[in-house]
Amino acid sequence: MDSIFYHSNLEPGDTGDGSLNGLRIAIQPNISAAGWPTDAGSNALANFTALEDATIVQRLRKAGAAICGSTRMSEFGFGLTNSKAGEALRCQAADAELVLDIVGESRLAASRAAVCGFKPSYGLVSRFGLIGLIPSMECCGLLSGNLGNLREIIKTIAGRDELDFSLPDEQAPDFSAQAINPKNTVIGFISEAQTALSSEQVQMYHASIGELEKAGFHLREMSMSDFPLFTLVHRIAGSVEASSCAGRYDSVRYGRRAQGARNWNDMYLLSRGAAFGPLLKSYLFQGAFFQFERYVAYEDACRIRARLIKDMQRLTRESDFLVLPIFDIAGSGDMASLPDIYTQFATTAFANVTGQPALYLPPPEGTAHPGLQLAGSRLSDARLLALGEHLMNMRRGGK
Amino acid sequence: MEFEAVIGLEIHVELNCATKMFCDCPNRPGDEPNVNTCPTCLWFPGAMPRLSREALEKAALLCLGLGAELQPRSAFDQKVYYYPDLPKGFQLSQAHLPLSRGGGIDITDESGKSKTLRIHHIHMEEDVAKLVHEMEGRLPISLVDFNRAGAPLVEIVTEPDFRTSYEAMEFLKALRTQVRYVGSSECSMENGSMRADANISIRPKGSTQMNTKVEVKNMNSIRHVGDAIAYEIIRQTADVQAGEAVVLHTRLWDPDKKVTLPMRAKFEGPCVPDPSVPVIELSPDWIKEMRSRLPEMPVARAERFVKQHGLNAEEARFLSSDPEVAVYFEAMIGLGVAPRTAMHWLTTQLLPAMKERRQELSGSPVTPTRFAALLNMLVKGEINANAAREVLILLFNSDEAPESIVKSHGFRQVSDTSALDSLIDKVLGEQTAAVADVRNGQGKAMGFLVGQVMQASGGKANPKIIRELLARKLGASK
Repeated sequence: MDSIFYHSNLEPGDTGDGSLNGLRIAIQPNISAAGWPTDAGSNALANFTALEDATIVQRLRKAGAAICGSTRMSEFGFGLTNSKAGEALRCQAADAELVLDIVGESRLAASRAAVCGFKPSYGLVSRFGLIGLIPSMECCGLLSGNLGNLREIIKTIAGRDELDFSLPDEQAPDFSAQAINPKNTVIGFISEAQTALSSEQVQMYHASIGELEKAGFHLREMSMSDFPLFTLVHRIAGSVEASSCAGRYDSVRYGRRAQGARNWNDMYLLSRGAAFGPLLKSYLFQGAFFQFERYVAYEDACRIRARLIKDMQRLTRESDFLVLPIFDIAGSGDMASLPDIYTQFATTAFANVTGQPALYLPPPEGTAHPGLQLAGSRLSDARLLALGEHLMNMRRGGK
Repeated sequence: MEFEAVIGLEIHVELNCATKMFCDCPNRPGDEPNVNTCPTCLWFPGAMPRLSREALEKAALLCLGLGAELQPRSAFDQKVYYYPDLPKGFQLSQAHLPLSRGGGIDITDESGKSKTLRIHHIHMEEDVAKLVHEMEGRLPISLVDFNRAGAPLVEIVTEPDFRTSYEAMEFLKALRTQVRYVGSSECSMENGSMRADANISIRPKGSTQMNTKVEVKNMNSIRHVGDAIAYEIIRQTADVQAGEAVVLHTRLWDPDKKVTLPMRAKFEGPCVPDPSVPVIELSPDWIKEMRSRLPEMPVARAERFVKQHGLNAEEARFLSSDPEVAVYFEAMIGLGVAPRTAMHWLTTQLLPAMKERRQELSGSPVTPTRFAALLNMLVKGEINANAAREVLILLFNSDEAPESIVKSHGFRQVSDTSALDSLIDKVLGEQTAAVADVRNGQGKAMGFLVGQVMQASGGKANPKIIRELLARKLGASK
C-alpha cells in the first residue's frame, strides 16, 4: 500500500451517520486535510502541512465518509506521470478517489483503473483548500467503480461555499436519480475530435459508441472545426496561469531550499530551479515566455477560448449529450514532455477549457474497447450522471 | 530653449476598513509584527481570497467623491513581481478592468486661475508585506511584517495634466480633503495611509509631445512631493540641455539630501486575470445607493457656508476643508452661537489649542455643546473674552460644565454698575492727566482708563460697561 499512498489515515475516526457513512475516500496530497502532509507531489511544497480542511474534505467528513489517505500524485497533478490515481480503487483500499482534473487526469486515471471517472462543471465544486496549477481550468474529479457513489459524493461536495467566492451565484443541479429515455435523447459526436486518432483508434471509438446506438440513443455527427485548438488554448493560457500562480513557491516557509545562495534573489532562483521537476519547469518557463515575451499570444488564446466555449455551447444545444474519444496512449508509461502530455490529453482537454462536465465510463466487460467519454453542457452534471447510470444499468441487463 | 514639465501622479490610499481586503484579519498594520495574519494573507497554498464588502464600498465612495465613473464590470489580476515583501509572487490588482474611470479635481494654480486636473482611473489592490531592515550585531538582516499584507488600497492614477510641483501639491491637498470627506481614509502621507509617486518628463514649452518619463518615489509628505518634483524638473532640464537623453527609470527621493537617486528596478511583468477572485459587477441600483451615501462634498459645503452663514469664501473654504471641523462648526451654530463668533473662536482658539495638545476634534473633551455654552456666556456678557480663553483651557482638563467652571473660578464678569461706580471714581481720582486728555478729545486715553478700571477689578469687569460708565461720567464719546 505504501507504493500507492503518500499518507495513510490510520484512524479515520467516527464517521457518524451521514449519507456517505462508511465510504472510504482517498484524496491526493494537493487537497488539504488539516495536519496532513500536503506537498502536491512537488519539492516546491516539501514539508508543507495543511492548516485546515478543504471545503470538499470538510463536507465529506460531515457526511460520514472516511478520508482514508492521500495517494501519490504527479507534480502538481499535471498529467499522470508517477501518479497512483485509481490504484487505491483497483486494490480495493478505497471506495472512491478524488483526483484533480487539470487537463483530463481523472478521466484518464479512471480508464486505467477501469472505473468511472467524473469531472464536474467548473464552478460547481469549491476550490478552497485545493492546491492547483491552473485555477481557471482545474476541478476536483471523482473516481469510483460505482456511479451511485459518485452521485452521492458530488451531491455532498457541490454548491456554494462561504470560503470560495469564485463560485458563481447559481443553483447546484438536483442530483436525485432521474430517468433517461434513449428514444428522445440525441448524443452528438464531433468529427474533428477524431483527427488526431489513428485509424485503429477511430475504429475502436466507433465500436464503443455502437453501445449507445444499441441502447436506442440517436447518434448525430456534428462538426466543430476548431476542436484541435482546445489543446493549444489549454497549453498557452494554462501555462501562463500556472506560471503566474506558481510564483508563490519560493522555498522560504516550506519547500526544499537550495543551499549556497549569497542573497535572497539567489536563494529564490536556486530553490526554484531545484524544486520543480523537468515537466513542470518547462511548463512554467513556457508560461513565463508567453506572459512576458508574447503577451499577445496569451490574449489571443483567451479570445479563442471564449469562441470555443460558444462553439461548444452550440453543440450542446443541438444535442443532449456528446460522446468523445478517450485513449490512454501512454499506458502507464512516462509522458515526460509537454508535447507528450498534450498528445495524451488531446481529447480530454476540451472540458477543462470550457468548464463543462465530462464522465468516463469503463468499457463493458469482455470488450477491448477504450470506454466512453460523455459530456454535457455546463451544470448538466446530474443528467450526465443519469445517462451514465442508465448505460451501466443496461449492461447489467436492465432495460 | 524654455522647457515645461509634464507630470502625472500615482497615489496609493489605504482604506480605513476594519479588515484586510481578502480576509477577516484586522486591518491594523501598526500592531505588534505578524499578529494580524491568516493563511489567506500569508498567501498559503489552498487559501482563497474573499473580497471584503466594506473595502469595495469604501473604494466606491472614494471614486464617487472624486467625480469618477464606477464601472459596471471590474476584475482583479495577478500583478507579477518577485520581491521578499510579496512571497506570493503576485499582487492582486485591477490592471485591466479598474473600479472607476475618469473624475478629477479643480485646483487654483499659481496664477490664481482654476484648473481641472483629471484622473485617468482608480483601481483597487492589496498591499504587500512590510520589510524592516535591521542589524543583528554586524550582520544586516531584513524582517518581513505581514500585518500590512493584504491591506485594502486604492490607486488613483491621474492624467499627465500637471505642469508644476505646486499643482501636484494642491491636488494632493484637495484629494486628501475629499477622501477624508467620504470617510474612506485619513490620507496621511506622514503615517503612510497615502503614498504618492510622480511620473515626470520635460519637453520644450508649447510642444505636445510626450517624452520619456522618470518615476520618483519615497516622498513622505506633500511638501516632499513638491520638493522632489521641483528637483527632478531641474535635474532633467540640465541633462537635456547638456545633450543627455532621459532614460526610463525609477528614482527615490532622499529627504535629507533633498535629491532624487536612481533605484534598482523591481522585475515586473504584464498581468494575468485571477479566476479565484470573482468579477465585480455593480448594478445601477447599487451605484445609486452608494451615491446616496455620499456626504456633501467640500466645494458644495463651502458654497453653502457662504450663502447660509454669511462667511467669506476663504473662511468657508477653510472651515469646510476638514469634515470634522465643518460638522463641529455647524453643531455650534445649531446650539445658538452666531456663525462669525463660532468661526472666529474655532479657528483662532480651539483649533490651535487642539493642535498644541495633539488632539483631534472627535474624542476631544471640548465638545460642541461645552464650547457653545462657553461662547454663549461670552455673548451674553457673563464673562469677558480673557475669561473665556482661560475657561477654554480648563475645559480640556475637566468634565465640569463651563458654567460651573466660571462660577467656581470666579470668572463671572462684574457688570453691576453700582459695584463698578466706586472703582471708576477711584481711578478717575488717581488718573487726572488721562481724564484731562479724554476731556480734550484724545480717544487713546479712554482705552487707558478702561484698562486701569479692568486692572482694579481683577480682570472681572465687563469692559463694555466700564466704557459706557466712563463716557457718561466724563461726558465724552465712547
